[in-house]
Amino acid sequence: MKKGFITLHVNGDAHEVLVSSQHTLLDVLRGKLKLMGTKEGCTTGSCGVCTVHNSRGEAVLSCLTPALEWAGQSITTIEGLEKNGRLAPIQQAFVAYHAVQCGFCTPGVIMSAQAVLNLTPAPTEEDINDGLAGVICRCTGHIKVKEAIRKVGEFGVGP
Amino acid sequence: MSKPGDLSVIGRRQPRLDGFDKVSGRSVFTDDIVLPGMLYGRILRSPHARARILSIDTSKARALPGVKAVVSNADAPDLLFSDKQPLLAKGFVHYVGEEVAAVAATDPLIAEAALDLIEVEYEVLPSVTSLRRALQPDAPQLHEWATGNVALTHERDFGDPDAAFAASDLVITDEFRSPVQHNTLAELHVALADFTNPDKLQLWTPTQGAPMYQMALAKAFGLETSQVRIVYGNVGGAFTGRGRAKPHHFIAALLSRVAGKPVKIKATGDEEFIMFRGSGETRYRFRTGVTRDGRLKALEADVTFDAGAHAEWAMILWLPAPYLNWLYKVDAVRYRGRFVYTSTVPKGSHHGGIFGRLSAGWMQHLNHVAEELGMDPAEFHLKNAIDPGHHALDGSDFASCGLKECIDRVVERSGWKAKYGKLPPYRGIGIGIGAQASGGKNAANDTSAALLKVADDGVVTLYTGIPDMGQGSHTVMAMIAAEVLGVEPEDIRIVGGDSDITPFDWGAFSQRGTFTTGNAVKLAAEDARAQLAGIIGTLLGVAATDLEFARRRVWVRGEAQDAPGRSFSFREAIGKAFNGVQGLAIMGRGSFNSPRPSGSLAYSFGAQVAEVEVDPESGAVRVLKVTAAHDLGRALNPLAVEGQLDGQVFSGMSQVLYEECRMDGGQILNPSRLEYKLPRTYELPEVEYILVETIDPYGPFGAKEVGEGPIVVTMGAVANAVANAVGEMVPQIPMTPWRLLRVIRHRRNHGLAPAD
Amino acid sequence: MLLPDHDFVKPATLAEGLAVLRDATGDVRLLGGGTDVVFNMRCRLMTPDTLLSLKDLPELQGVAVLPDGSLQLGAACRLTDLVASPLLIARYPALVKAFRAVASRHVRNLATLGGNLCLDTRCWFTNQTKEWRDAKGPCLKTGMDVCHAIAGAPVCVALNNADSPLPLIALDATVVLASSRGERSLLLRDFYREDGIRHTAREPDEILTGITIPPTTDRLVFLKETARQGMDFSYGAIAVRADGSGHTASRLRIVLGSLTTAPRLLIGAAAQLATLGLGDDGLEAACATLRDELGPLTNLYSPAAYKRELARILLRKAVLELRQGS
Repeated sequence: MKKGFITLHVNGDAHEVLVSSQHTLLDVLRGKLKLMGTKEGCTTGSCGVCTVHNSRGEAVLSCLTPALEWAGQSITTIEGLEKNGRLAPIQQAFVAYHAVQCGFCTPGVIMSAQAVLNLTPAPTEEDINDGLAGVICRCTGHIKVKEAIRKVGEFGVGP
Repeated sequence: MSKPGDLSVIGRRQPRLDGFDKVSGRSVFTDDIVLPGMLYGRILRSPHARARILSIDTSKARALPGVKAVVSNADAPDLLFSDKQPLLAKGFVHYVGEEVAAVAATDPLIAEAALDLIEVEYEVLPSVTSLRRALQPDAPQLHEWATGNVALTHERDFGDPDAAFAASDLVITDEFRSPVQHNTLAELHVALADFTNPDKLQLWTPTQGAPMYQMALAKAFGLETSQVRIVYGNVGGAFTGRGRAKPHHFIAALLSRVAGKPVKIKATGDEEFIMFRGSGETRYRFRTGVTRDGRLKALEADVTFDAGAHAEWAMILWLPAPYLNWLYKVDAVRYRGRFVYTSTVPKGSHHGGIFGRLSAGWMQHLNHVAEELGMDPAEFHLKNAIDPGHHALDGSDFASCGLKECIDRVVERSGWKAKYGKLPPYRGIGIGIGAQASGGKNAANDTSAALLKVADDGVVTLYTGIPDMGQGSHTVMAMIAAEVLGVEPEDIRIVGGDSDITPFDWGAFSQRGTFTTGNAVKLAAEDARAQLAGIIGTLLGVAATDLEFARRRVWVRGEAQDAPGRSFSFREAIGKAFNGVQGLAIMGRGSFNSPRPSGSLAYSFGAQVAEVEVDPESGAVRVLKVTAAHDLGRALNPLAVEGQLDGQVFSGMSQVLYEECRMDGGQILNPSRLEYKLPRTYELPEVEYILVETIDPYGPFGAKEVGEGPIVVTMGAVANAVANAVGEMVPQIPMTPWRLLRVIRHRRNHGLAPAD
Repeated sequence: MLLPDHDFVKPATLAEGLAVLRDATGDVRLLGGGTDVVFNMRCRLMTPDTLLSLKDLPELQGVAVLPDGSLQLGAACRLTDLVASPLLIARYPALVKAFRAVASRHVRNLATLGGNLCLDTRCWFTNQTKEWRDAKGPCLKTGMDVCHAIAGAPVCVALNNADSPLPLIALDATVVLASSRGERSLLLRDFYREDGIRHTAREPDEILTGITIPPTTDRLVFLKETARQGMDFSYGAIAVRADGSGHTASRLRIVLGSLTTAPRLLIGAAAQLATLGLGDDGLEAACATLRDELGPLTNLYSPAAYKRELARILLRKAVLELRQGS
């Protein structure tokens, strides 16, 4: 297939989109669905700002996967973490513990952090390091990012 | 620390006021913006390090359906990027990646295809792609005006260096090198230009300072500054990398003018390494003269910069001269610097600037001097460090200076005395010190202005042009205004990031944000408060200055905060003004410019101790801990300050140990965030923060900068720690495993101990 | 940047996929998780006519224990799932370590075993955008008779940077290659070729469907040296397998990775250690063979002298770890 309609389930909503084989999942999220929370960064899969969740709540790099692979699949983006305008605990923790500075990598970092918590609600230092090794946060140096995740892991809820 | 009760907002650990938007994906960055009819621009870049352009044929590209503009120098021959530099290459190309032509099309793929259709004929010429080669006597001369490829020189003597060296008991010389480095900020370069209306150029782009962009673009396109509008709501990191407009900004504007539509140009992952114009290969020779008892007589630095193919940012050349004066009492200072042309990307600056990488070498050199004297390096720094009130040879004044306190505190907290010289082999501890100006007068003024209005419901709107690139400037400005007006930070709305709307502000660089804009905001808030106080004071029959503003209330000093009829909530007070006889809509304005003719009013200082472990087999380094003390005047928002220290310690250690653009014939071999190495989560050291508050007399609430001072200190501390671990100065950064192995092997082969 | 124009084909069964390969007139690229292929396509280093998606083929899934105790891993297994496999963790922790060492969780959540085994070779003169390569000029891999990494090299010297092959080769694993012509098995160590372009023995119409690991209780060690931990290709990596215990081993397999174009088996070093034991004497003798067994090395990503040093370091560290384990 070079071009065709696929159904993508994003944050619980079904979208029918015309997609070409030339699109990555990121191209569709930003270009077609106008979900601008997920960012385009290094385009080589090494910075992690494009991170979204697959149906298992695992972190995947949306810039490194062809859009057509996701026909019929469920994806969660940063916009899908909050519930009725109420931020998820990890999002609240990022604000409270100052794990956000310029904010450009933040959606990708938060999705990566949430994926760690999805896998292990009480993550160890190793879990956090492993789960965040795929993102770069220049501003925070990852230090308060790790602290925010630790706190959510310890207390289970937001601050 | 301030006395409890003196300040109610300042000094609070304040989470970002725009945090909700940032963590939920609502914050809009430039690439998120799509304008009606927007086209996609791409730049055709030179594949050669040096060549004559024989011909350019854009006809096939123009004919491609969907292409709306194709430009080369022939279409805009008078368009200059700088005095000596046409925007699009004319006659010659001088580096791989130089901008030769550009296209705008309805679709990114069409734009890419159009680039392939532009036919350029080149005659390849001999190039010089390294500093070493450029300086050789038989090297090709790259520009007709630069004999020996030297673009610019800068020489400064303060005091009498020759006499001071002659009077020294000991003179030590060391050499050092730093490589091409880059800023891997999160948001890649992007510019969205709308020049549809020839009288108004609008540019959406992340920037550190709108005025410099406005002025440069206005000059190039024959406009007045105010005919250029820069919109920069959210800036995805800057780190000294977005201070000047770069060619892609001008090209986006040109394409938009020609096509009659908005045009967006966005860097691809590797193109960003060219667009960014980071720091170039630099060579240093440090020479220091001391007395036998460890007093500094003379400091000298000789620095040779690879400027790249065009000398785009000459300021870098003369910056080290004042810096050498900011830390120590010394009899004389000498600086010699030169910019050298090479056939590579024009160089600029990156995180830490020249001070950071200079420190990585200079601090090792001074450590070497201390060791030759048999002195503890911390003692050496303390003995020579400046005090508050110091007047330096270059004319700088330091009203507040906590340098000695910073040194004392990190020495104590890190256990320095028990460790220095006593660690097991290949464990190292190192100390670095540094300073940074809080703003500086390089031009006629260093002005920031702010406007503030209070709505009848008590909500305050603050108009400020200071960008928030992550450092939290907007939150701090809200805290300052809130403190003055006696309200809460969340009562302050910030309107910023649009040069059409906000008052003049040079921007956030040279670490002027907190200091200069903070002062302007404070003045604006004080102005508004004075108006309100005048009305309330008249109402209550007291002087305006007898009123207190705090905790969202206004009351008479000495009386109860909630005295009935004698006190009001802030909102009630505003109502009195607005609904009173005058019907006054309270607005405050403030403008701050340093009263100094040149230089800075205030300087921050820092000292850090780093501890590392080197694997003698593999040469790998692990940073164990960094103890960081910084005299920032006053921590307006300690939470944000910690975040700054974190990011700068991370970046500083990264540059000393990992970061390097590997070059091959003028091309960067590792232009990606994968191969341009940065540490990540596993490599983070423990960081201990010590905030030293000297309460500067000129800063808002005594605050000075903290936005780039710490990284300079980190680089010296980490470099020294590694040198300590391996037993001698490491003459180059980054200290990669293979470079350290060379030092380790050399010492083993000569029977030298790892650390003596 | 969008991917180049191509036909995306997602067969429902292996047979369907093999038929596509059989009938293809143009260039078909196999797609696992895409973490390597998508990147290379964006750079226009790979511009296939057809992308054949394999990751959901039912025949390529799962970890199974065969009657003889061998473990069979499907080529479409995600690295994340292999890292979490209780069976693998119990039997081959060093193998799990190698899977876990690949890139980052983000990549492993997409990447497949087959994709990592077939990972294209890397060279910083070719793994760049098209504009970059055009400026440098083409080379053996991109159409001309020139090598930028080693002047005059007759064959492409791009590096094999994959981690998972190393312990699998040490374990004498065999891969299964299926085509419409039938099926064949091949020892993994014979799957790789010292050729940066045709770097595996896979024929254009074949699909690697799985890998079988014969049962063993031998010791196995895997080490990887990188600039930073996490999200990095190796500067060098090693897998060492040995029978026996303590300082004694009669049979060893030593496999070095990321230093050469194919994973390199160190026959001489293994023989020295088998003869002299795993003590310092054996180690010294083994290290002495390295220079010849490695041959000329490139300066790709790290200096050749460092690579040579690293080989020695990795061998030493691996043997030390072997000595300590059971």
